[in-house]
Amino acid sequence: MNSSSLYQFSTWTVILLMVAFYGGTYLLTLGIRKKKEDADAFMVSNHRVGFGIGAASMTATWIWAASFYAAATSGYTYGVSGPIHYGLWGALMILFIYPFGRRFRKLAPNAHTLGELIHARHGSSSQLILALSNLLGSIISLMVNFTAAGALVSVLSPLSFQAGVIIAGVGVLLYTLWSGFRASVLTDFAQLVALMAIAVVIIPAVFFSMGGPTELVAGLDNLTPEQADFFSMDAILNQGAPFFVAVLAYAIGNQTISQRLFAVNEDHIKPTFLTATVGYGAIVIGLGMIGLMALTLGVEPLNGDMNNLIPQMVSSYLPPVFIAAFFILVIGSLSSTADSDLSALSAIMMADVYGKNIARGKADPRRMLLVGRLTMIVATMIGIVFASFSLDILVMLVFVGALWGAIVFPVIASCFWSRVTNAAFTTSVLVAMVAFCAARFEWLPMTGITGLGFELLASIGGGIIIALMVFGFLGRVAGALAGLAAFVAMLVFATGFLREYTVLLASLTAYGTSTLVCVAMSLASRERFDFDCIAERVGNYDAADAAPVADEHPRKPAPAGLATQR
Amino acid sequence: MTLLFGLYVLIWPALTLGVLLLICRAVARDRREAKKDHRTLV
Repeated sequence: MNSSSLYQFSTWTVILLMVAFYGGTYLLTLGIRKKKEDADAFMVSNHRVGFGIGAASMTATWIWAASFYAAATSGYTYGVSGPIHYGLWGALMILFIYPFGRRFRKLAPNAHTLGELIHARHGSSSQLILALSNLLGSIISLMVNFTAAGALVSVLSPLSFQAGVIIAGVGVLLYTLWSGFRASVLTDFAQLVALMAIAVVIIPAVFFSMGGPTELVAGLDNLTPEQADFFSMDAILNQGAPFFVAVLAYAIGNQTISQRLFAVNEDHIKPTFLTATVGYGAIVIGLGMIGLMALTLGVEPLNGDMNNLIPQMVSSYLPPVFIAAFFILVIGSLSSTADSDLSALSAIMMADVYGKNIARGKADPRRMLLVGRLTMIVATMIGIVFASFSLDILVMLVFVGALWGAIVFPVIASCFWSRVTNAAFTTSVLVAMVAFCAARFEWLPMTGITGLGFELLASIGGGIIIALMVFGFLGRVAGALAGLAAFVAMLVFATGFLREYTVLLASLTAYGTSTLVCVAMSLASRERFDFDCIAERVGNYDAADAAPVADEHPRKPAPAGLATQR
Repeated sequence: MTLLFGLYVLIWPALTLGVLLLICRAVARDRREAKKDHRTLV
């Protein structure tokens, strides 16, 4: 990559910065290290992580390196509203999951993964579908973060892309391997403090160095009418809408979120997730503003690569010390997400795979720890290899996105509706995946009655997304009304039109199909599930901790049907 | 217009600073409580 106009650090400066970052983080974890770690703490700490650490960890985990680059790209591409359309929806993913998180926690206070809850509710097949979607998601995230490290190092120094990938991978593994999730949340706090402090300084510094508000307003003439419009339809349809569709799917499909839902003090779930929502939104939208500044100044991204926008602006307007700060900002954001992914992957392998499907209730905590640590090592190697060889993961991305969309309704319904069965869960997800593929890869011609049929399924999908979001905050009736209104609106506006937007049609079809099949099969079933069983079936693995923790959460009477969590 | 755009850009680092202070205060409180209960922060 030609990076002649970007500031270049010497090899030793970059190595020093990375050693200082990862060395400091490692030293921090020595303070909490136990000679004999226990399996439960390795996965979710003590289920009583405080508000401060919890909020910091959730924020740091959700901010990955791509957040900055994508927000700046959105600001540069869509203008005034661009950063909002990236950051706001990402932030809402954290916000919209917490009402459901409170329900998950109430049902399974001692769970480590959402998969364990689903295993207690349905059995192995549903649980493994969820675990697989979580597993693939975390592997992709790991790879993307290591790739970002390699790209940053190669752009700002003579070091190679692969060197950056390997240093980041080994650095993250080093401080997460022994204490797992406990190390992840503690270091998240330190990384977030650095990240926020740097963002607070860098955004105004670039803004005033480029000429401040006067220059920004003068540069608005460089924008197209769409870019200058705060309510740009172009930005809403191309950036906002696809993100909006993914709000619940990303949150449900991500073990890094459920892990924190099960780890924070139950009374603090709401303030923790609200604070993380504001924190994430503020940092990401703020850094996205640098993309808008670049647009108003008429800056062209170096080599046409949008990822160069922020480094380019920082290089052009600020002294080298700020570039070093930016370097730490990106390394901190990608490392905090990567360590959370390693912790998530290890928890899935420990609890969902080993605990529930191999040991079958007779899990040995020491063996679990071994499984967790080996998982971290293998996952790091996979992440490094995939990132180093820049392997094409597009197909994997497409399938994971579809899987996440397909599981949203079955997972949520399973936690509120006693009639949902294992067969309904599994079948609905599988049928939804087939329907998704048919739409996404155009196995069937999207014309005539077929096109109409898929648009109908997609309209159900759109309705169910809105219904679930409203249900989470306002309960059953409001959710049903909002969903119905959204479904009718979709039928009116999307019929004959949505088939032109294959990706959106396919994503919404996955939601709609899984909902339809899950509801139909559940209504046909005579089973009624007693939700109290879940707390009995999901417990701690380290026997010594099990009794006191279980005593803190007396069981509540089972809801009769669709329960509300308020 | 100038003031509005200035605010539009600078509100985000200001919010970030607010959240940073909130989190730091909360962690300090968590730490005190953990120390009082003779347990680790995480």
